[in-house]
Amino acid sequence: MIRRRLALVGAVLLVGACVERLTAPGHCPDYCPSGQITVVDTLLTTSINRDSSYRGYVLAYQAALMLAANLPGATGTLDGRPIFRINGYGARFRISTVDTSTGPILGADSARLQLYVVRRDTATHNLRLQLYRLPITIDTGTTFGSVTAPFTDSLLRTVNIDTLLAQPGRKDSVTGDSVVADTVNHRLVLSLKLDTAQARYVATDSGTVAYGIRIAADTLASIAFGKDAFGPSLQWYLRVDSLGTTVARKPGALGARLASFVFAPPPAPLDSTLAVGGVPSARSLLRVAFPKVIRDSAQIIRATLFLVPAVAARGAPADSFVIEARSVFADFGAKSPIDLRLGDTTVIHVGATDTVKIEVTNLLQAWAADSTHPTVLVLRPEREAQVFGEIRFYPSVAAAFRPTLQVTFVRRFPFGVP
Amino acid sequence: MTHRAGWIIAVLLVGPALTGGAMAAAQDSQFGIRGLGTPGRWESVRSRSTGGAFGPFDPLSPLMEASLADVGQLTATAAGGTSNRDVLVGGTATSLRATRFPVMGVAGPVARRLAVSVGFTTYLDKSWDLTLRDSFMLRGVLQRYTDEITSDGSVADIRLAVASRLTRRIALGAGLHVLGGSTRMTAERQFDDSTFHRVQQSAEVRYDGLGVSGSVLIGLAPGLTIAGWARSDNRLRAKVADTTSALTDLPLMAGGGVLFAPSPSARLGASVAWRSWSKAGAGAFDTWTWSAGAEFGSRRMPIRLGARGGQMPFGPGTEAPTEVAGSLGTGRAFAQGRALIDLGLERLERRGGGLTERVWTVLVGLTVRP
Repeated sequence: MIRRRLALVGAVLLVGACVERLTAPGHCPDYCPSGQITVVDTLLTTSINRDSSYRGYVLAYQAALMLAANLPGATGTLDGRPIFRINGYGARFRISTVDTSTGPILGADSARLQLYVVRRDTATHNLRLQLYRLPITIDTGTTFGSVTAPFTDSLLRTVNIDTLLAQPGRKDSVTGDSVVADTVNHRLVLSLKLDTAQARYVATDSGTVAYGIRIAADTLASIAFGKDAFGPSLQWYLRVDSLGTTVARKPGALGARLASFVFAPPPAPLDSTLAVGGVPSARSLLRVAFPKVIRDSAQIIRATLFLVPAVAARGAPADSFVIEARSVFADFGAKSPIDLRLGDTTVIHVGATDTVKIEVTNLLQAWAADSTHPTVLVLRPEREAQVFGEIRFYPSVAAAFRPTLQVTFVRRFPFGVP
Repeated sequence: MTHRAGWIIAVLLVGPALTGGAMAAAQDSQFGIRGLGTPGRWESVRSRSTGGAFGPFDPLSPLMEASLADVGQLTATAAGGTSNRDVLVGGTATSLRATRFPVMGVAGPVARRLAVSVGFTTYLDKSWDLTLRDSFMLRGVLQRYTDEITSDGSVADIRLAVASRLTRRIALGAGLHVLGGSTRMTAERQFDDSTFHRVQQSAEVRYDGLGVSGSVLIGLAPGLTIAGWARSDNRLRAKVADTTSALTDLPLMAGGGVLFAPSPSARLGASVAWRSWSKAGAGAFDTWTWSAGAEFGSRRMPIRLGARGGQMPFGPGTEAPTEVAGSLGTGRAFAQGRALIDLGLERLERRGGGLTERVWTVLVGLTVRP
């Protein structure tokens, strides 16, 4: 027994004795290795070439949001108007749930339109929403100009969202409208009650309706509505003929089959500058001549892309937007497939003309690690066509303001040298 | 046990060194960081407990070959040591600790007048870990950073030695030394500003070299023996990924000793050695080292003590750092002398260039004679 305990104590002491502690403060140069970590910082002024811009990657109807804006500016008013179409149930509706017998839909008593406001500026005051009836013929090709008339003469409702939010229980007992503020997801869920005249169920149109929205506010009138799962939906309250008797039916809510937005003015045509953002979204490609001395024998610890705006960033003043730099799997020009694994971003403030800096360390490290990777940078908005914002940078042909890369790298440590 | 069992033990002891997997090292020192490393001590625990004075006469110390002539039977030995080191420099003190296995080997007679030995010891210890806090201007801003540079490994001296007692008074020995080993080196820098990524580089540095040695043992009178030895190594080649990163000349070495045994229970010894480390380049110095020690009592459980001093080969400035040490130890034989355990304790101080190191080392040695 004693021997076992002694053996155990011996084993514990042995393990304890084997613990290494070698870390000591260095006192250089006397008690440090002769080799040191050498950091080099270099500005690559002529390494970016053959840059160009392309537009049309994400169109308004393909965007994840519907943008609404009414922003007077120096060069005109930025006016964005969501439009959407909700198809109906057709001319007939099932009378009973136990059989398939149907009856003609006589019309609607009312309907409730639900909208999600997924982005708004809380500094905006007196935000008003105007609902218009639009022709049901609207589609993905509908332009701002083609719906000017209904946006002028077909106003159905005006809702003051700030007033509605101030109501007790956030519900207007007169109009039947209500709003729910989702503070977790930063959303407003608007529920608008439409009467028979506002929600006309026209059987010959299969009950299809189309609406458009304009907004107004004292300042900074720019918001975004959700689409798809958070898109517009319409709850009909129908009257159906059941063998001469009118019965009420409440079918399931219908979502929008088309949800888009129209806006004016249209984006300026592309020129020699490097455009990023806007609707339809624009991207720019920058081809980088990556020096071999950095690629082959150094560790990149920081790389910064400098871009000089050719004009002030445009868009809704409150809607700063994020642009990202990404690499591509292959250089096919405008159709280069983007490598989504790595990316670096920066925030663009509308109206700013300061030099934009994007930290692209991750991308250059990936290029250094894989020499087959194309050394091409793509600049695009992080959320394409979800903001009106657009910025244009000087291209490489503008010698004084061309894009540049500042790279900080570490040379190979002289291992093995005494 | 049979001879075969003995050779199995030998392979187990020496095999790791031959495959490059050994963690053989002696005693680290901050003085070795700037230079090639910290030279090892080619001594068994018994010799080291006498300050190294018995090294030339101890067949289990890989310093000399001629003493192998008296090994008598197949013998395997190994030693381990744990060092607690206090480093004082620039007003700061740091406590460090390391465990090393500086000597392993096996020796035995292969013919009536011929003995051989194979084993390894530490030639240069290259294990250290430095942290450094500093700053410099980068992109127009003062950037603060922390560096950590580490080296973990050593250069081992794998020795094949033969010895022969030519006459009752004279024994000769010769050895072939293969230097090999590797260090795992890392260099890291962490900036306070996290926009600069962490610098992280590492490499395995492999070392190789060759050396030869010769020695003589002369019995002048009953109980009085003198020894002399010399060694020459060519160069130490450092390779990183099959590319030679450094070629460093290695020193010539020579030394001698005297052992006086006035009675069977008292043995007194002294030794001296010279090494031309200045060949290794700037910041290296030729060194002289001396030692004196004694062993009292029966061989079954003796008492040993010793002292040594001398110079360190690497250091800043124009003068070599110095070291002085005192040691004591004992041993215990088991199984009718077939197994021996040696224990030693050493107190060492190194000084030079504003740096002082004080080291306590506990040594344990195991010797088996199957």
